[in-house]
Amino acid sequence: MKMPPFKLYSPSSVDEAIQIAKSLQSKQEDFDWISGGTDLIPNYKWHLNPKKNVISLANISQLTELTETTIGGMVRLQDLAESEFTHPVLAKSANSIASIMIRRSGTVGGNICLDTRCYWYNQTEDWRETIDWCHKCDCGTGADCRVIPNQNTLCVATYQADLAPVLMCMEARVHLISTSGKREMNLIDFFELDGMKKNKLLPGELLTHITIPEEISTWSGDYQKLRQRESWDFPEAGVAALWKKKEGKLEKLRIATTGLESIPGYHEDLAMELVENWEGEESIKYLSEKIRKAVKPVPNTWYTPAYRRKMVKVLTKRACKGLLSE
Amino acid sequence: MSDEEKDEMVGYRQQPGKISFSRPGSGGKNSFSEPRDEKMIPESQGGEKKQPWGDHRHDNLITGRVVGKSTSLVDSNWKVTGRAKYGDDIRLPAELIGKIVRSPYHYARVLSIDLSEASKLPGVISIATGEDAKNKFGVLPVTKDEHAMAVDRVRHIGDLIACVAAEDEATALEAVRLIKIEYEILDSIHDMKDGLKDSEVPIHDRGEYHIGEANIQKRVFQEFGHIKSMKENSVASHKKNWFFNGVNHAATEPHAVVADWDPSGRLTLYTPQQVPHYVHRALADVLEIPMHQINVHRTFVGGGFGGKSDPFPHEMCASILARKSGRPVRITFDREEVYWINRGRHPSHIEMNLHADDEGRLCGIETDALIDGGAFASFGHVTTYYNGVLHTAPYEIGAFHYTGARVWTNKPASGAMRGHGAVNSRCAVEVGIDDISEQLQVDPISFRLANLLPPHSATITGFRVTSIGMRECLERVMKESGWKEKFRKMPLGHGIGIGCGFFISGSGLPIHWDPNKFPHATVHLKIDMDGGVTVHTGAADIGQGSDTVVAQSVAEVLGLPLDMIRIKSRETDTSPVDLGSYSSRVTFMNANAAISAAMEIRSDLLNATSEITKAPIEKLVIGDRRIFRKDEPAIGVSYLEALHKAQEDRGALVASGAYRTPPMGRAHKGAAAGLAPAYSFSAYVAEVKVDVETGQTKVEKVWAAHDCGKALNPLAVKGQIIGSCHMGMGQVLSEEMRYGRTGNLMNTDLLDYKIPSVHEMPHVTPIIVESNDPEGPFGAKEAGEGPLLPILPAVCNAVYDAIGVRTNELPITPDRLHKNIERKCRELKIDDPNDLPSPRLEHSKLQDTLEKRAKEHSIRDKERRLTSEIEPYHNGALFGMDPTIPPDEVDESWEVTVIPSEEYLENPRLAGSAWVHTERRKRGI
Repeated sequence: MKMPPFKLYSPSSVDEAIQIAKSLQSKQEDFDWISGGTDLIPNYKWHLNPKKNVISLANISQLTELTETTIGGMVRLQDLAESEFTHPVLAKSANSIASIMIRRSGTVGGNICLDTRCYWYNQTEDWRETIDWCHKCDCGTGADCRVIPNQNTLCVATYQADLAPVLMCMEARVHLISTSGKREMNLIDFFELDGMKKNKLLPGELLTHITIPEEISTWSGDYQKLRQRESWDFPEAGVAALWKKKEGKLEKLRIATTGLESIPGYHEDLAMELVENWEGEESIKYLSEKIRKAVKPVPNTWYTPAYRRKMVKVLTKRACKGLLSE
Repeated sequence: MSDEEKDEMVGYRQQPGKISFSRPGSGGKNSFSEPRDEKMIPESQGGEKKQPWGDHRHDNLITGRVVGKSTSLVDSNWKVTGRAKYGDDIRLPAELIGKIVRSPYHYARVLSIDLSEASKLPGVISIATGEDAKNKFGVLPVTKDEHAMAVDRVRHIGDLIACVAAEDEATALEAVRLIKIEYEILDSIHDMKDGLKDSEVPIHDRGEYHIGEANIQKRVFQEFGHIKSMKENSVASHKKNWFFNGVNHAATEPHAVVADWDPSGRLTLYTPQQVPHYVHRALADVLEIPMHQINVHRTFVGGGFGGKSDPFPHEMCASILARKSGRPVRITFDREEVYWINRGRHPSHIEMNLHADDEGRLCGIETDALIDGGAFASFGHVTTYYNGVLHTAPYEIGAFHYTGARVWTNKPASGAMRGHGAVNSRCAVEVGIDDISEQLQVDPISFRLANLLPPHSATITGFRVTSIGMRECLERVMKESGWKEKFRKMPLGHGIGIGCGFFISGSGLPIHWDPNKFPHATVHLKIDMDGGVTVHTGAADIGQGSDTVVAQSVAEVLGLPLDMIRIKSRETDTSPVDLGSYSSRVTFMNANAAISAAMEIRSDLLNATSEITKAPIEKLVIGDRRIFRKDEPAIGVSYLEALHKAQEDRGALVASGAYRTPPMGRAHKGAAAGLAPAYSFSAYVAEVKVDVETGQTKVEKVWAAHDCGKALNPLAVKGQIIGSCHMGMGQVLSEEMRYGRTGNLMNTDLLDYKIPSVHEMPHVTPIIVESNDPEGPFGAKEAGEGPLLPILPAVCNAVYDAIGVRTNELPITPDRLHKNIERKCRELKIDDPNDLPSPRLEHSKLQDTLEKRAKEHSIRDKERRLTSEIEPYHNGALFGMDPTIPPDEVDESWEVTVIPSEEYLENPRLAGSAWVHTERRKRGI
């Protein structure tokens, strides 16, 4: 399999990276950022929207900061999983990503900005030619979506990354930088419902780090994940639950899901409903059913949508199990 | 030289013609010979090794050197140091890179191919299309239906249309893009059931032999035994319709080939092939040159499992391009091309019916197997038979009805894969026995133990079974797994299950020639003055260790260390013709050939020793690089002395040994399919954990007993058992070739084709059972394919034991199992699957009957394997027939039928409906 040729830039600071981006943009040349490369390189090999230029972030040490409240975009997933600063739920989700070799290369920023995935898209160029391409990588043909034909407006590729739901529950903020300056926003607001657009990153914009509120360290929770194999596989469904109790009483609960739609789902209202009407096991059952109804997976991953919805119910129940025991 | 070493030389006098290294024990890495390992030498030969299964014809050849000892494979250092050259590692000067133009359509007529733009591209050296090679080929001589590249039609996505050779890969790829092809799209067939129907443009045309106008490639009908009375006599019946998804071998190494026409005008093809000889033949056919102009050079093979045993179109393409360009051409597959060439296990619809009578005997097996061949025949002719005939043992049965059909569809071709043709129907039989045992309220292991064929018996279709270690396999796994404490006694979600296997150890008939005229395997030996033995064999080492087993056999007979044996097995120029690595034949046939060649050399050495020492030959024994008097070990000569003596007047010693199967089998149509000189047996117990809420199954432990006759290299046998477990676990739990809504294969990569990872791998306890096969080399049988069979049903049965739910589709992915759990909950009106009842067993009276019979049979079997005068035993004796006469000769109601009756055709089963069609020649077309 042959990757299309590209020019690789290796800046050693964020400023330098932005300068390179600026000069490429001024020449109307498109480019991709590359961090761990575990997602981008396979996609390039399969000719999935490859660019002529690639800017590597590997040499930028500023981006590898890792404390209880700050996680650099270039922190390796395995480092996150092993760090003493990492919240146990975040560590659990990080540790469940792909395989150890991929975790040693893959990064936090890369995982959050992971390209959405689809059976009709994550295929080689020759394969995609046999289905006459698809909406997400149409090779100039204006091809339709192959999952839900005759709609041609929205890409339904699935967001299958593990960190986002946990970080959403932590109310993490993402910090971005581009040629037009810095900005930050809640991770909850970061994603965009189109599987092609994926998130709010502007062309040439870069995720530098995320920040987590300090008080999160006192919260408890769990992350539950559905997949065929305990290694390699992307989540077919994932549920993160984080809660705070005060004197044995449930005070706050946050629930987020992944692997079910084009964006991770944040279920604020359902979580609040549970806190307000907390009646133990029955409430969890009720919430699980509500979450099942709230997600709308499509047939573009390994398991069927019906099964994934049923399982999100089971996963929610299991993720919330800790609510009962403490 | 140290004083000590000088002492060794005392008594030795330098003589003309004798070289100084010929002192006692010389040769090998260690220059001094070691005492014979008495523990490895059978008691009958004066050693300490007990042989509970009796003596063996090769016992007198045992020198205690290597056989039976765990040894790393002779080529392992090459692999672990990265020095082994696989297909894509071959680099020849001035090589070109070849790329293949493949069909983007399932089924289409190729109207025109425009090469003009591609051929103008700088760096493109040659382009070839179907026009360049119009002759058909195929692995089986009776079903040649492949072309190097499309002639007229493409038959599946990925089918070959043209190929390009260019200076580099990028140019070749660009040229592929520039080739313009016009197609007329034809209606494609994806569901194998549609393949049974008449079609406007059948995928292949068999001329006058075409069956109806349908896409039926092969159909089989067989009825043996008391067909008419089996249902009347049954008190318990099992019926299940299975669907088995197709699986791919997914060998680590993708296919890769280099073709080179050398300056003398000969073609050398470097290819990781399991069966170099068939490629050799096919190349000669396709290229229209004599076979002696071709040298097939087998590279290291990075995993075959049956996936590299056909002659392949890309091998033809590389050769054609190399001929056109005058330069070497290399073609390496991407992973998805591996899936497009496929030859994996057939997707199959199997209907399995079992009947048991009031004495707990299997009074009937009825199987109907419709298998999806994809676009080409490949090994399918054989597969169609194997799906039936390979489950006629190890149980004695009262009747056997089999209907099988293989259809062409517009998918990548299915073919031979580890456990060829036997795996799916075996799973269905073993699950059926579990169900029947439950209906009869008996332990399924007791049921099996009371229904086994004895050693030296004939199966219902007339296979000659020699050694059988099935009983010991069952007893060992039962004991080691703690079966009696666990079966039907564990809490919900935890289960244990049993499955058995039966497989051929070498196919009885060579498909290209008369077995009475040519041997299956030939081995040449050559020994010159250095004492090292050069072994020429055509057996293809595909990682299974065939080089090692041949080296071991020679080393054992000649009493040499393994490092003195040099295996030359790569090139057809130097190695004798061999059928290759398939049907688990290599250890059995090549080691036998190697032993007979070594026996010739051995005889030369003994004669020479006798001449030097004046000792009579019958008093001489071979030890480690030393030949001496058994009664007076001080009198003897070193191996090299004997060798040099034997070389006088003739130079290097050469010898040739061969193996051919004895005449076997019966005379009905298809009687040869499944015939083998020996059969392997296995029994596995699997322990699983099932999450009832998600349907996820985790196999925790496996006890795997395999009867390989004799473990020549126990390390390799254990490796095969564990590897088979892994591969079979893939098929039962997660691996499948998944075809999507549009008929496209959706998972042509190793992320979405779910091979179990190390996390899924259970702890496997390999148990070797040695039944000492009378015809096997030193008693050995196969261990490469048979061990895969039992893991599938063992896991299925364990899942049932855990949650009381049976599946009928493999793999048992969590979503499929979850559906079945939901169904069960609905049936039982249970809301929470955690409340499902666990299956429990209360023995009926039949249990005692079975245990008693098993005990009697155990005594019978022991007697039969040790006596020298063996009475015939034909399947049917358990049902009161005379064991010494084939039942059809004495009982008119005992059917032997291979053509369906009119009555059957009125209401045929699924695959059986293939017989509704009439061949064209019989319709006068």
